[in-house]
Amino acid sequence: MIKKEVLKNVVFDTIKKGSCCIPKDVREAFNSAIANEKTQKAKEGFGNTLKSLDLSIERMNPACPDTGWPLFFLKVGNEAKIEGGFMALEEIARNMVAKATKEGYLRATMKHPLTGYDPGTNVGMNIPHFTYKFVPGNDIEISYAAKGGGSECFGGTRYKMIAFADGLAGIKKFVIDAYAAAARAGAICPPAVLGVGIGGTGNIASALAKEAACLRLVGSHHPEEMMSQIEKDLYDSINSLGIGPMGSGGDTSVFSVNVEYAYTHIAGIAVALSSNCWIARRATTRVYSDGRTEELDNPNWFDGR
Amino acid sequence: MATYYLNVPLMDEDVVQLKIGDLVYLSGPAFTCRSRLQRYIFDEKNKLPFSTEQRNLLIHVGPIIVRENNDWRLVSFTPTSSIRFEKWGAKSVKEWGLKAIVGKTTMGEETAQAMKEHKCVHLSPQSVSPNLWLDSIKIEDVYLFDELGTIEAAWHLQLDKFGPFVVDIDCEGNNYFEGIDTIVEANKKQAYKDLNIPADFKYTKLY
Repeated sequence: MIKKEVLKNVVFDTIKKGSCCIPKDVREAFNSAIANEKTQKAKEGFGNTLKSLDLSIERMNPACPDTGWPLFFLKVGNEAKIEGGFMALEEIARNMVAKATKEGYLRATMKHPLTGYDPGTNVGMNIPHFTYKFVPGNDIEISYAAKGGGSECFGGTRYKMIAFADGLAGIKKFVIDAYAAAARAGAICPPAVLGVGIGGTGNIASALAKEAACLRLVGSHHPEEMMSQIEKDLYDSINSLGIGPMGSGGDTSVFSVNVEYAYTHIAGIAVALSSNCWIARRATTRVYSDGRTEELDNPNWFDGR
Repeated sequence: MATYYLNVPLMDEDVVQLKIGDLVYLSGPAFTCRSRLQRYIFDEKNKLPFSTEQRNLLIHVGPIIVRENNDWRLVSFTPTSSIRFEKWGAKSVKEWGLKAIVGKTTMGEETAQAMKEHKCVHLSPQSVSPNLWLDSIKIEDVYLFDELGTIEAAWHLQLDKFGPFVVDIDCEGNNYFEGIDTIVEANKKQAYKDLNIPADFKYTKLY
């Protein structure tokens, strides 16, 4: 049985780490970009951002003042037991989001969509949001993603239903066109970690794209050859465009292209993309059934897909 | 490409010399704003409760600021996307007498036209580096805090070599990102070939 007291601490620390400390794989992507960029200006764009990100880890302040939509992804062991059940876990998560907001680890960004009412806590209707995945075992893995507003609002996240007749060419064209338009003038804070979802209903494709953007490591590949080839082709092509840091020109235009897919209806193919901004914030903690905890660099969300 | 260190209040001669692609650092007074302030002033017809004459630099930003020991502590600060404030851009330039706007992305045609007429530039960050900026910003005061809340209130700041920002719209109405657009569009042609997307590809119309 996992105790509430343990979960309170774990959830709070995971939110704090997710907002303040960029993951190791993202940090590596910055180092590669600094090494590969040809102009001093582009090197500085990456370099100054990385300097600030490292200071955020040292000072434990948010990596960016837009601390985004609070999203929880829970990988739950089929036999996992929580004191008070999963509704207690969700209540703890809401309380910890409010606490992290009050203490300045999150900005009070979530508001009523029509009235603009700001509760000052980042807690409201359907927010924070929870996504579950069930796996064998009795541990739970809690991932927190701070999903930035820029990468969500300017066309970096959208979907299109295409005909079978349009096939792979239609999929690739949609992704590259949509990404280039969204990255214009740095709107989505490029180079993004780009998640692509293929197949399923519109919302299945969109959820896969979001999870691929927020939970897969930069530079990771889908285990199936056909999918990893699409990832490589899109990665190379987008990086030939010249978008650069914050859209100001450069050799690095996307950090990673992560593709996931679902079987689809004979009627058509949903294609979705979800861009995560270049500082791609997330943190994952595993909680064992005996209450031990372990911070993980990799959410391993798609293990077993 | 040149680098400039400018002091606020900005004069016409300070900004007309700037060309797209130049880098700028700013010192002196500034104020912050995002959409709720502009809606409050321009749509809901309220009066801006301070003068912008000696403070003609606007920063589009939603900072994190917390109250500690009867004082404000700036936790994080990064310019936010200007393009979403396009609706009020031209009015802001004209009625507030702005000489520079700092914000992510860029502004649209109407604002660029107003910038040309009233001698104003738009400046855009190439990094997301709040910790490199925090030390160059001091909070002086805040207006409309109760009405608009901590993120959307008008914060008065005192800046010390705040930057660098790239000039993306100059006083001639040129836009830095249009140059990048041309490069991206040209590279896209080769990318389509590499991705086996036929030049005459058209989507089957589903809806």
